Amino acid sequence: MSKLLLQGNQAIVYAAERAGLGFFAGYPITPASEILLEFVGRKRVKVLQMEDEIASINAIIGASLAGRKTMTATSGPGFSLMQESIGLAHMMEVPLVIVNVQRVGPSTGMPTFPAQGDIMQSRFGSHGDYCPIVFYPNSVEELYQHTFSAFNAAEESLSPVILLSDGFISHIYETVELKTYPTVDRTRPPLGMGRRHFTGLTHKDNTKPVTSDPEVHRALLRHLKKKCEDVSEKYNFYEYIGNDTADTLLISYGALSRAAYKFRDKYALFRPIRIFPIIKDLKEIAEQYESVIIMEMNLGQYRNQVESVVHKHVELVSLTGGKIDLKEIWDKLTAIKGRGRKRVSVAD
Amino acid sequence: MEDTTRFKRFLKEKNLPTPWCPGCGNGIILKSTCDAFDELNLDTDKTVVVSGIGCSGRSAGFFNLDSVHTAHGRAIPMAEGIKIANENLHVVVLSGDGDLLGIGGNHLLHASRRNTPITIICFSNEIYGMTGGQVSPTSKQGAKTITTPDGCKDTPINVQALIKAHNCFYARTTTFHLKHLKKCIVEALRHPGLAFVDVICQCIVNNGRRIGFKDGYDMLMHYKNTYKINENADLLKEGEIGITKVGVVK
Ligand SMILES: Cc1ncc(C[n+]2csc(CCOP(=O)(O)OP(=O)(O)O)c2C)c(N)n1
Ligand code: SF4
Ligand SMILES: [Mg+2]
Repeated sequence: MSKLLLQGNQAIVYAAERAGLGFFAGYPITPASEILLEFVGRKRVKVLQMEDEIASINAIIGASLAGRKTMTATSGPGFSLMQESIGLAHMMEVPLVIVNVQRVGPSTGMPTFPAQGDIMQSRFGSHGDYCPIVFYPNSVEELYQHTFSAFNAAEESLSPVILLSDGFISHIYETVELKTYPTVDRTRPPLGMGRRHFTGLTHKDNTKPVTSDPEVHRALLRHLKKKCEDVSEKYNFYEYIGNDTADTLLISYGALSRAAYKFRDKYALFRPIRIFPIIKDLKEIAEQYESVIIMEMNLGQYRNQVESVVHKHVELVSLTGGKIDLKEIWDKLTAIKGRGRKRVSVAD
Repeated sequence: MEDTTRFKRFLKEKNLPTPWCPGCGNGIILKSTCDAFDELNLDTDKTVVVSGIGCSGRSAGFFNLDSVHTAHGRAIPMAEGIKIANENLHVVVLSGDGDLLGIGGNHLLHASRRNTPITIICFSNEIYGMTGGQVSPTSKQGAKTITTPDGCKDTPINVQALIKAHNCFYARTTTFHLKHLKKCIVEALRHPGLAFVDVICQCIVNNGRRIGFKDGYDMLMHYKNTYKINENADLLKEGEIGITKVGVVK
């Protein structure tokens, strides 16, 4: 098996091609541009540089319905432009992968600096109710691996799956073993093979819109939610490093979770890789510790979600502006009074 | 005698009736498109229709084909994705003037630049019909709509110039000129690159009635008296309909 030194963004492309990608459409944006660039000249994938991100996502929805595995890649501003059509893809049950390499926002923010400001946007960015599957790896190797997860989950759930990254892990270089993971093939016949109607309007069985029957809408929502939740159970990816001597569980993900390893002797660590739907085991894990702290590169976007699952107060260490500094993290952790290593074990 | 019901094999009759008002021009375009599909004997397994959002956007759901009803303005990039993913498909976009030229205008600009081989049928009723009759990008200067009670100040978009600038197929026709309408769609479907058929059509309820027309028929008579066919022109003038000369396809 070959090992290569790859940049995070490159690893996504290597994996996508091996996962069966047939069509990519995108629009340049830092820090995701290398993905579009890496596809240029690859014969197995049709590559389109579109006029904007709205065109990109709609082109991949069309290409997916036409039978290809499809992907687009962007960063926060482009991800915002895609939101309306992400809802459309959920309603029409179109499998596809959207890579969002996060940078500092809001707006144009700090384009070359990493952030984790699109957590809520990934979960709730489109209007209406839906239940997206979202992965957020923390290394180049994991970006490679979970690009396969994203494609497979998309096919199994017939829904758009989000692969989050950030300006840090997408831009570092690490060695990757180019493994081939099992892939899931398309089951639904491509466009042209039926008399179906794919619509963003409330509908029943791809036949015609039904826009004035609440029961039809409720049944559709239940179906969309259950389908994604059931499929997500097969992708229960997380990292948990227990700690008998600690009374606090420290949660982190993506780039920032790499810094968390430095504090593993003082805290138990939990790192979700599938960040949505939230890993159910987290509740039981959190119960083993007196307190829970979350660290994120935003003002607490995941904290609110985690609290609703663990049913207790979660302290926040917030690091914005694209800066990951161990001393600052340690100062902020210790400023949270009475947390960390169990006092008794210190006395022992 | 010619069998006049053959178009029905392209129509999903069980989904009828359409949601359109009595006297609306949309049904005429729907039927003429089916007629054109029939004349070319298009393979139902190789033809896909795509619509945006609007009254006209509902047309995709009435074809007995695989059909896609996209978000507002996004029919063109969706159609391009379908076509490029499977070049064996005939991909036909049917949508409104607001959808294709307003919110989706940037996509038309670039799809025509790319000359993606898709057929676009634009329901040019000079109004945002579905949302109640707001001014649209094709509304004429002076047009009174609910958002321009003193008359529209802006010039309508020159979509002919845009399409022709990129050497694509452009035809203009109306819902009165039935034979011509069908011919325009047939020729557009035959064209190997991007083809745009601008169909002037009546929205009686949210446009026509407010500007003095009695009913749909009245509007059709207006088209009859206003538009003259000019075949093979380089550029159509106001009041002219026809299929313009196409340049060399890239
Ligand atoms: C993003 C978005 N903005 C606004 C709307 C509301 N809307 C629905 S149809 C429409 C106008 C349609 O006009 P046109 O394309 O000319 O179609 P017509 O109804 O005239 O056939 C608008 C503004 C929408 N559905 N989505
Ligand atoms: S509002 Fe106008 S365009 Fe819409 S169905 Fe009625 S007549 Fe037709
Ligand atoms: Mg209109």
